[in-house]
Amino acid sequence: MKNFFRKVAFGIGPNEEVPSDPLAWALNQLDDVPDLTWKGKIPSGKEMIEIHARKNEIELKKVREKYKDDKKLLKIGIKRLNYETGLHFWPSLELSIRHTEAIYSNSPVLAKLWFFWSNHFAIVDGGFRTAFYTGPYQREVIRTNLNQTFEKLVYNVTTSPAMISSLDNGDNIGPKSKIGKKNKKSSSINENHARELLELHTVSPAAGYTQEDIIQLAYIMTGWMNGYSKSTGDTLPVEFNKDRHQPGKKTVFGKTYKSGKKSLENVIKDLVHHPNCRDFIATKLCRYLITDNPTEEMKKPIIKAFKDSDGFLPEIHKAAIRVAFEYNDQYQKFQNPENWFLQMAKLADFSWPTSPTIMDLYEVGRKPQLAHTQPQGKLYDLGHDPYRAKQPNGFSDFEADWISPELLIRRLVFAKDCFELTKSKNNNFKFYKNIVNKNFNNPERIFNYLEKAKKPYEIQILLFNHPEFLKA
Amino acid sequence: MKINRRDFLKTTAATSLFFAGFGLPSFASQNKKNLVVIMLEGGMDGLCAVPIRGDKNFKKLRSKINLKKTLKLTSDFDLHPALENFKTLWDQNTASVFHATSIPYKGRSHFEGQDMMMSGGTVPYQEKTGWLGRGMKLAGLKGNGLAMSLPMPLLIRGVPLNNNYFPIRSSLPQKRLLNIIEEEFNQYSEKDLSETLSIIRNRDLNYFPGTNASTLALQAGKLLSDPNGPRVAVFKVENFDTHAAQGGDDGTHADCLKEYDQILKALKASLGSTFKDTLILTLTEFGRTVKQNGGNGTEHGYGTAVLMAGGLIKKSEVHGDWPGLKQKELFEGRDLNSTMDARSIYASAMSTVFDLDFKRIQKDVFWGDKLDNLSDKLFKA
Repeated sequence: MKNFFRKVAFGIGPNEEVPSDPLAWALNQLDDVPDLTWKGKIPSGKEMIEIHARKNEIELKKVREKYKDDKKLLKIGIKRLNYETGLHFWPSLELSIRHTEAIYSNSPVLAKLWFFWSNHFAIVDGGFRTAFYTGPYQREVIRTNLNQTFEKLVYNVTTSPAMISSLDNGDNIGPKSKIGKKNKKSSSINENHARELLELHTVSPAAGYTQEDIIQLAYIMTGWMNGYSKSTGDTLPVEFNKDRHQPGKKTVFGKTYKSGKKSLENVIKDLVHHPNCRDFIATKLCRYLITDNPTEEMKKPIIKAFKDSDGFLPEIHKAAIRVAFEYNDQYQKFQNPENWFLQMAKLADFSWPTSPTIMDLYEVGRKPQLAHTQPQGKLYDLGHDPYRAKQPNGFSDFEADWISPELLIRRLVFAKDCFELTKSKNNNFKFYKNIVNKNFNNPERIFNYLEKAKKPYEIQILLFNHPEFLKA
Repeated sequence: MKINRRDFLKTTAATSLFFAGFGLPSFASQNKKNLVVIMLEGGMDGLCAVPIRGDKNFKKLRSKINLKKTLKLTSDFDLHPALENFKTLWDQNTASVFHATSIPYKGRSHFEGQDMMMSGGTVPYQEKTGWLGRGMKLAGLKGNGLAMSLPMPLLIRGVPLNNNYFPIRSSLPQKRLLNIIEEEFNQYSEKDLSETLSIIRNRDLNYFPGTNASTLALQAGKLLSDPNGPRVAVFKVENFDTHAAQGGDDGTHADCLKEYDQILKALKASLGSTFKDTLILTLTEFGRTVKQNGGNGTEHGYGTAVLMAGGLIKKSEVHGDWPGLKQKELFEGRDLNSTMDARSIYASAMSTVFDLDFKRIQKDVFWGDKLDNLSDKLFKA
């Protein structure tokens, strides 16, 4: 039963009590979205976009123009600009905020679900976007909506600067719109975002939409863009530009929508109420928490909660956690690298992440110190930096995608090398005995296994590569 | 000499007719044959790697990124100067090009394109295995794949026990500890984990040569040349997506091509005598626009070229049915067209290297999609 604390969160730390009612402990974390636990500075999305991203965008154009025939100087120019706008610092700050929420907050279950939704609505990696957009998006658009409806979450995601940039809706121009008619050659719809809104974010291909549905949805989405001005690049707030909006009625899944700004809201309302959407979300939640191949029985209560609560996320989450609890002993899921790393960090009481004091010492414009970029470096080495999804479908929740010889080497090597993150007072068998007692179902069996270790760091290697720890 | 579309068509038609009806299953050869696939991510510009000669319009459209010191391939095509080692192999009749080709994907999304170039399918994100993995499975090549990357690329999935190599600057825990862990995996019947651990148990991580392309290629060549080693290796070269500062002889695209060329050089050196039994092919999601953009780069396009090297190449030749670069000849008025489904080249290569009947590959790996058997035309039996 104790693996439940890792299944739905990150385990029980050495100084925490084991909750007497695990299910109640988990369910109690899902009604509210508390303030973030990170004590250091947290830049707002507005600041990131309107100050740092904007500066990067404007200056990058100048640098590219200036050095367009000399790639060496271009490289140096871009590097300098990246320091001036903190490009290499922000992702590590975001990871520190995120990891603090998992390891030290009072709502680790909510954190684990936050990670799930951030990945469900993944932003594709891109140096500029990863640095300035993805972190604030995950905090301000995804996390703050975790006690709202799925419908509101989808709408806010769809109209967020990060997603519009990630899926090119800024290039989605109605051919019959005012601007479309003026610039016939350069104006066309871009189906990218519309397709993913259907395929990845809401109803999934199981809904059986046609190419024409995608096109019609793309028409509805025409005009939604990151504000653009020649002097500031595309870093103004998101706007609905009606001069780019395709006029006339559109039909998606047989239902007709009037032209205009409100049509996006209306179509999202219908998409999130589509039966396939409920099924898709339930499948993905079960896959993330329980097993690669969720059964209909598992999905049923989540689908029902979705329907009964009109897509209220706390109710959906509670249903998913209840199902995870019910199937806890039957199914153990191989944990993805980041979740595994966080569980190890929590149980072994690592000095992780870099402290707020050190992170706050960073000044924009200067080359970051190693400690300022360590979180990103570590997660990159591990093969799972959550701010750098390669594709709009995010990181996989299938176990097979996380098992390769090199990926298993990472687990072995990280368990060994992260010994440098441990505190010397903990380097004794008593300490490990305590965390094993709190987190493992058969502590005696684990103790027998750990007795084969000759030194504290060997305990760490063995424990964190034990099959019961690799899964939860 | 100016290239003539009709001549190209004639040659192609004649060759395919000549070989039609000779689709007999080939017989297993005695030498172990290897297939290397180098994925060029971001959209490799076939017109930059293998530009057409003497097309004034083309030169005009690329005034800022034209090549100055090209290497000559044929009377019709040049070669990018960064591809020195490719040229050396060309001169030895062990390198060739298939031009104006593409995977069956006409969108311009990297992610869909990359997914499909690996899956070999016609719908993005639909397949969970790669064409190379399915081909290996058909050939019974379990435990014969080697990916030079951290995860197992989709391309090679679909056959069990593949290995990968992408070293980290660290060392494995002692063997004694690995034994204890492996024993525990077995106790818990974790088959995938114990198999994977058994693969890596003999890794010497104390030696960290780095993860640059040449180093990885030297390692791959060494393993492929071992008669008991892997038969398939997969590489990835990134950053072909040059929307700006693509450059001509010496730009970002040149750097990427050079990286590919360095892989070739390292493979040639480390494969030694087994180079003659090896095929090395490139794979990319799409080509790039004919016309340069305002940032001296190019946008996402369609048709591109497949670069082929290795001792199993029949002869140095630029294959393909050149579609022309006049406005009306371009795909959607902006990109080099494709006149050959690139999967025909890959299916033919697998047929040659894995000694499998082309039709079986076509049916079992590519769902019976319409593909041309180019084995006899491009490769040595």
